[in-house]
Amino acid sequence: MSRLDRRQFFSRSAALIGTTGLGVGAVAGAAAEAQSRAGAPAQSATEQARAALASELATRVPFDAPHQAGVLTRAQAQGSFVALDAVAPNRSTLVAALRNLSTRARSLTQGDTVGAEELDDPPPDSGILGPFNAPDQLTVTIAFGASLFDARYGLQALKPKGLERMPNFPHDNLEPARTHGDVLVSVCAGQRDTVTHTVRELMRSVVGHLTPRWRIDGFQGARRGPTPANNPRNLFAFRDGTANPDVGDASLMDELIWVQPGTGEPAWAVGGTYQVVRTIRMHVEFWDRVGMFEQQSMIGRYRVSGAPLGGTNEFEDPRYDLDPEGKRIPLIAHIRLANPRTPQTANQRILRRGYNYDRGIDEAGNLDQGLVFVAFNQDIQRQFATIQTRLEAEEMVDYITPVGGGYFFAPPGAHGPGDWVGSGLFT
Amino acid sequence: MVGARWPVHSAHRAKCIDFFHIFTTEVSHLQLSLSARPRPRGLWLAAAVAVLAACVLAGAALAPGGAGKGGPFAVTQLAPKSAPNPLAGRLTKVYGTNIPASRYGTEVADLEDEGTNLAGEQISELSPLPAAAFTAPVDEYRAYSERWIAHALSGAVALQHALAAGERTAAMSAWEATWSDYLHLGAVYLNGAAEAANRAIDGTPGELPGGTSDPHFTGLHRIEMGLWGGQTLSSLIGFAVLLQHDLSALRGIVAHVEITPLEYATRSHEIIEDDQRDLLSGMDVPWSRQGVLGTAAGLAATEEVFHTLEPLLSGRENTEGEVRVELLMLHGVLASMRARHHGQYPNLSGLSIYEHEQLNGYVAGALSALEEMPGTLETKVRPPVPRLPEPSRVERAEERAAEKVAGGAP
Repeated sequence: MSRLDRRQFFSRSAALIGTTGLGVGAVAGAAAEAQSRAGAPAQSATEQARAALASELATRVPFDAPHQAGVLTRAQAQGSFVALDAVAPNRSTLVAALRNLSTRARSLTQGDTVGAEELDDPPPDSGILGPFNAPDQLTVTIAFGASLFDARYGLQALKPKGLERMPNFPHDNLEPARTHGDVLVSVCAGQRDTVTHTVRELMRSVVGHLTPRWRIDGFQGARRGPTPANNPRNLFAFRDGTANPDVGDASLMDELIWVQPGTGEPAWAVGGTYQVVRTIRMHVEFWDRVGMFEQQSMIGRYRVSGAPLGGTNEFEDPRYDLDPEGKRIPLIAHIRLANPRTPQTANQRILRRGYNYDRGIDEAGNLDQGLVFVAFNQDIQRQFATIQTRLEAEEMVDYITPVGGGYFFAPPGAHGPGDWVGSGLFT
Repeated sequence: MVGARWPVHSAHRAKCIDFFHIFTTEVSHLQLSLSARPRPRGLWLAAAVAVLAACVLAGAALAPGGAGKGGPFAVTQLAPKSAPNPLAGRLTKVYGTNIPASRYGTEVADLEDEGTNLAGEQISELSPLPAAAFTAPVDEYRAYSERWIAHALSGAVALQHALAAGERTAAMSAWEATWSDYLHLGAVYLNGAAEAANRAIDGTPGELPGGTSDPHFTGLHRIEMGLWGGQTLSSLIGFAVLLQHDLSALRGIVAHVEITPLEYATRSHEIIEDDQRDLLSGMDVPWSRQGVLGTAAGLAATEEVFHTLEPLLSGRENTEGEVRVELLMLHGVLASMRARHHGQYPNLSGLSIYEHEQLNGYVAGALSALEEMPGTLETKVRPPVPRLPEPSRVERAEERAAEKVAGGAP
């Protein structure tokens, strides 16, 4: 295959913009298939990397769909979570801001060309990605906090029934300036500059009406194997996401993730999901002083393989039924409390979609690193809050401090151009 | 596994204040001059401890009141009833033997590095100690805690009087003294009723549902918020009275609180870890910013725990020597810092960038040594983890399905 230079990439990407309905991975798969069919000579490592990046940048995730993107979508490498507070003076201005937010998000997620502008005017796009904003697997997920449903905009009666202000759990140390918010925008993509650009552009689209309250940036650990299936690691070096429910199982997602009709939720909320975000500081220096045996006992898995203690494979069933006294996996190990794997707790499972964060050092010279815990669930009380309450007994609470985040509700997706996320709330 | 870890924690020593510069220079000379001798490492350790002790004595003497109150190592000016620094010149035997600890730095440690004890037996850091060996240290620590609760109680009474007299500056000083006295407990492993009492005395608002407005936000940090936040002094008197009640209750509980060997050994490093996380970061003292004062009190508590455990540590790896040196260095830094700030520990905002870095570095150094203590003081050998049974064919298929889910398309 000939070398894929930047210009070729732009023209190919631009051509793809006109194609609708392509799912995630379709473009990348097509590119690989085409290459294979051509019987091309082996590429150098540099060429392979370049081609892989080009395919990744060209990959689009549809914005308009029954459910919002960025929920079941496999976690992209980079993410930013921005909480905004509404300062719009009235309901119609708020509506305009939310419509703008979706419109701009749709455009960026599908890739767009930076338009020409009058030389005397400020450019309409910051342009930091060049003349074309490649889609780069970008998803923008929009969610609302409980505070949006106060008296300011007359939305009290429409509040999702399970949406409340996130409480302080016993081991939390929530900082007000890093907690709650009227609107949460989750921006995830393959490259950091795509996320940075998107956050900047989205904030421009709502300036004066939605104002930033807090933000946290995160990244995924690379999938370093040994197989493509093995999950990446968090900053305690343990694999994260192993026991997530199967997002390809639509009926399971209806049981665990999506709000269903006939459950007492307002009609506009059906098809949406509750989003929990927790900024969890991980005291990594403390952790690094803990013996390996104790680390593994606290988690319940081997650090290297990710297998449950006593096992060999990350995806092996921990078989708690064979270990009722916790001789193999302690009864207060993280994995055992988080998911006891009993019929009674099956409907408590959540979909985790967390990101590691690394935001410098604190005043004591310690690294400020941790986890942006992100989870989607159908019912916070039945699922996340129940699990979190069980986890109060785990020993890992000494090594982490939740400092921020909030509870939000992600409405169903937009139906198409002209529609916007949350429109059902105002009809 | 045994091994010579002595040089591991040396990086932060590059930033020494003057007398530590002298120390490092002396050590280099010693290393050079002793390089041809058969056991330079042991002699190096002994010399380092001796030189450090002299340096810190000098550093402490610089601090007003440091040499005159109960001994040259009194940690905090605000704790006049402090016992002499327990690190000073204590001689013990290697645990379970007649070998004087003074021989530790020469023969014993070197032999341990070879994986044997003086009897020529193979040893390991996991050789368990009998749990009963912790009875005396824990009893001693419990008595120490009761003494410091009594000091804190006296301070709380003085605090109430200062509040009633309408003297904010005096009330702030009384708060600092009371809080420092209380932190001398190193109360990180209280549980049950003691934990509840500790929360009432030293709890922070972040863990309460209502934050600073929560009705359960009482105790020292509630008073701190009022004093430094400009609230009327009369509004704080009730909290000072309640504080006395809670301290009295705790005194009754601590006398009987159960502390396991593992908890006690772990306490040795978790006190300063908590200080680093909660105090030097400013997180728990947002109003007074007295993170240095609190850390000095935490160091005193750590020194007490170390002192009580020294007989058990002697002759087991290098832990005793490493911890002793690192604690002395941190002690010296705090003493010299207090001297430079006219006999008071500066608040976090009053630290120069260099002072802050220096303190952070020495705290981290101390923790690097203290982390060895729980392993060195193991009381049991861990049993091997039982193996999971070989999966059946059906279970294998389920595992493969789970793998497929995890490794599927994005």
